[in-house]
Amino acid sequence: MEHKNIDHILELSNELRWQIGDDFHDNLTEGIYADAAQIVSDSVQVDTSKKRFRLDRQIDKIVTSKTFGFPIMFLILATVLWLTIVGANYPSSLLAQLLLDTIHPLLKSGAAAISMPWWLDGFLIDGVYLAVAWVIAVMLPPMAIFFPMFTLLEDFGYLPRIAFNLDSLFKKAGAHGKQALTMSMGFGCNAAGVVATRIIDSPRERLIAIITNNFSLCNGRWPTQILIATIFIGAVAPSSFSSLASLLAVIGIAVLGMFFMFTTSWALSKTVLKGQVSTFNLELPPYRPPRFWKTIYTSLIDRTMIVLWRAIVFAAPAGAAIWLISNIHIGNESIAAWAIDALDGFGFLLGLNGVILLAYIVAIPANEIVIPTILMLTVLVTGLDAGAGAGVMFELDSANATGAILRAGGWTLLTAINLMLFSLLHNPCSTTIYTIYKETKSIKWTVFASVMPVILGFIVTFLVAQIWRIVF
Amino acid sequence: MNSYNPIQALLLFLLIAGILYVLLRPTKGWFWIIKNNFKSNEKVIIEDILKQLYHFENSGNKIDTKTLVQVLKFSNHHIIEVLKKMTINDLIYFESDVLKLTEAGRDYALRIVRVHRLWERYLADKTGFSKEEWHDRAEMMEHRLSHDETNMLAARLGNPKFDPHGDPIPTHTGKMAEVSGMELPLLPVNAIGRITHIEDEPEIIYKQILAENIHIGSIIRVIENNATRITFQSEGEEFRLAPIVAANLTVALLEEKVVLEENIARLSSLKEDETAKIIGISRESRGESRRRLLDLGFVKGATIKIDLMNPLGEPNAYLIKGTSIALRHDQAAKILIKKE
Amino acid sequence: MDTKVKSACETCVHFNADGLKKLGINTTNFDFVVALAGNPNTGKSTVFNALTGLRQHTGNWPGKTVTRAEGGFEYNNQKFKLVDLPGTYSLLSTSEDEAAARDFLLFGKPNVTVIVADANRLERNLNLVLQILEITDKAVLCLNLMDEAKRNHISIDERTLARDLGIPVVAASARFNQGIPELIHTISEIANGNIICKPHRIKNVPNNIENAVKTLSAEIEKEFPNIPNSRWIAFRLLEGDTHIINALKTGELV
Repeated sequence: MEHKNIDHILELSNELRWQIGDDFHDNLTEGIYADAAQIVSDSVQVDTSKKRFRLDRQIDKIVTSKTFGFPIMFLILATVLWLTIVGANYPSSLLAQLLLDTIHPLLKSGAAAISMPWWLDGFLIDGVYLAVAWVIAVMLPPMAIFFPMFTLLEDFGYLPRIAFNLDSLFKKAGAHGKQALTMSMGFGCNAAGVVATRIIDSPRERLIAIITNNFSLCNGRWPTQILIATIFIGAVAPSSFSSLASLLAVIGIAVLGMFFMFTTSWALSKTVLKGQVSTFNLELPPYRPPRFWKTIYTSLIDRTMIVLWRAIVFAAPAGAAIWLISNIHIGNESIAAWAIDALDGFGFLLGLNGVILLAYIVAIPANEIVIPTILMLTVLVTGLDAGAGAGVMFELDSANATGAILRAGGWTLLTAINLMLFSLLHNPCSTTIYTIYKETKSIKWTVFASVMPVILGFIVTFLVAQIWRIVF
Repeated sequence: MNSYNPIQALLLFLLIAGILYVLLRPTKGWFWIIKNNFKSNEKVIIEDILKQLYHFENSGNKIDTKTLVQVLKFSNHHIIEVLKKMTINDLIYFESDVLKLTEAGRDYALRIVRVHRLWERYLADKTGFSKEEWHDRAEMMEHRLSHDETNMLAARLGNPKFDPHGDPIPTHTGKMAEVSGMELPLLPVNAIGRITHIEDEPEIIYKQILAENIHIGSIIRVIENNATRITFQSEGEEFRLAPIVAANLTVALLEEKVVLEENIARLSSLKEDETAKIIGISRESRGESRRRLLDLGFVKGATIKIDLMNPLGEPNAYLIKGTSIALRHDQAAKILIKKE
Repeated sequence: MDTKVKSACETCVHFNADGLKKLGINTTNFDFVVALAGNPNTGKSTVFNALTGLRQHTGNWPGKTVTRAEGGFEYNNQKFKLVDLPGTYSLLSTSEDEAAARDFLLFGKPNVTVIVADANRLERNLNLVLQILEITDKAVLCLNLMDEAKRNHISIDERTLARDLGIPVVAASARFNQGIPELIHTISEIANGNIICKPHRIKNVPNNIENAVKTLSAEIEKEFPNIPNSRWIAFRLLEGDTHIINALKTGELV
């Protein structure tokens, strides 16, 4: 297309703008609303004689009241989380049985029947298939429960009221009340939580919400926390309190995550993000009864499936990598063994070990496969008789047996506590990193959001380890 | 791991953390100080001198080399050297002891002032930096923007007339809008006027004004004016200032026929079950925030009442044009209403 | 505009079966592009889903339309592509959502724009409606949530409203599929040029601004004789919208 010379038009517009002054936008908006008021007075009639009962108002009075507002909110959020974690157990174990215990051996014997070379069989079935199956089994059920419930609350109109109730807390941290919701969403899945930050229309607060979403323990990390707490923290408490102690430890970690979320939000808003534009407004839309089945259907399609698909895409190469590092040998040791050896020193400083660090490096794509990878690698380096061979991730049915393997790998209570801390404070999974990039379209913020938590994790675990060793 | 000792490790960590803090802490870290010092070259000194001379001449004061050295933060011999060069380059001349700007020097100074004020306007409208930071950031930026960049910035901002403090921004041809008004202490009791300018230097006084929540564009009525204090009413609240602080506010008298409307208040003072009409949005709300408020229907003449009180005190939700919209306290303080 | 009052079409059983085919996301080879605009919380997505048979989920508040959703339907053998724009309160600010909606209306040049408004909050919704009418003159107002309005004892004289706005107005309750057949019919009539709109222009602007806008839009029309929305361009230039300035330079707007 030809380029037009419009300099004289621009010159004129500058001149005219100078004449009409800085109030143009105000005047224009006021003019439009004045027109709107005239048109409405012509055509709209409101019958005020009939008494209007506003159900909305009655609901609002209760859910934002000083007495009931917060209890109702915590009750609803706790119910949603409880249903997700507990309710997902049964379908999760069904899926695990199907995908890991039934189909996996079938595939293996099928491969043997067509005499597939061992390396191809291992790479595809033990590596790629197993990782993908694991992610589906652990991830799908909680998400299929969590997202529909969350979406129902959203469609009903309750979520904006949570933002309304909590805004002044978030304001103190330089954040937006709606971050309460993206944070809650993060308890389901950080990638979904990052997408959900679109509801925050203020640039600064949205970036804060994106960067700090990782401090919400996601579905992939709850099982790790629960397992480790049961094995190690439950064990130090008297047996009648052991389940309570491990429960409190997990909740403690989640609360610690919120603490880090608030402090990081505050620090970000005061330093690197202080130049970003900040605005606030929060519409409280009328309540509308959600259409139950339609909502369930669409939330499954829109949220669950999309997040699951991304996770699978990222998990497959991770599975391949895990298998490869355990099976390719340099000299007389596998790559995994070399790497674990190299990382052990740094791991020790952090109160962790080389196995854990390596597991977190190769399992970037999905937190779900961290524990299976740790178990596999522990067996690999200790030479214990468990699991299904090099590069084949596994998990055990009993927590005691798992504990035995980990203790044999040199784990102590400190290792367990620091693993729980590091599971909270490390880089987001690669699905989330990719989502952050898609949402911010900025490499700078993506790198920052990925690196900042892991540095924080190093510092926290390091300090805990040194103080622990000085005290005990 | 033979040499490992947790106490040593901890101490080493604290040492590294301490060094990093000293080097990199915001603004006062050594790294930044060195970086900034590196940049304060001759150009910066020349431009700062020109700017000082411009401000002195504009306020009708005279300045000699001695005062100049006191005002500026550069070393003496630096300034003297630069002054010599500036005389040679025909930017300044001496009239006996007094320093004066030449025509060219005045043009140059105007350009610096233009960048400074445009940048403050930019910070106010397009970024989230707080008011306290505008001045210092603009001080740095005024030495960096080229002529073309300045014009592009001006175009992007819509060639504004005034900076956020109410100072006029010179156009690229040097044209400037006029600021009307006089210093607040000169107003008699009962005079009614509009705040047209808030001086941002010296910083201590400016911060005091900001802390009082006094907004540019507000209409005020003087209640008391004596040597110890000046009291005035504005937007439903009473303010008390020391004369030295009040002198940094410029107020334009309103024509007689404008009657100060009674009952004007800030939206933040609206109570449950009260209804009000919106009078306008304070100048203090700017940029994206202001536009958003207007778009949401917070326009002159709209009826407004509280829809929901917040359990934690803020934000309260207001019913405006049929919709419930929550605003934080500081936003509500910038919307002016008339209670019914 | 010629106001043909349509019969209540949901009563005729064959209406949907005869002329309408919902195409879901299959939007290749369409004849017309239809933009769907509106405030947040007006049931815009419900209208979108009712028109296309899709089940796009968007949340109950601003900014949730995940990506620009597209869908299609076929009516009387003509294919319509429907583009769901982000829900916004206005088109005058610089937020991402508003820029996306504004750019599509300006540069995407839809054949018809459907503006969904909440019948309960018409005054607030008209802010956006009046702005859109400055950009395009082929538009229809879908007055949604009429069922709620009825419960709130709000009655709207659609004819007067249509006359004032200069575009057809269709009352609807998209949740219950009421008014959707009429809406589809009206879209088709506008697209085929059977209904000519004479949209409302914003009147209540102060004189000095009105004069400035007139001068500027005259100048714009001199340079671009075929431009349909010189007044809107003038508004944007006075706001200093660099996006529009660039578009004018490259001639993208004509």
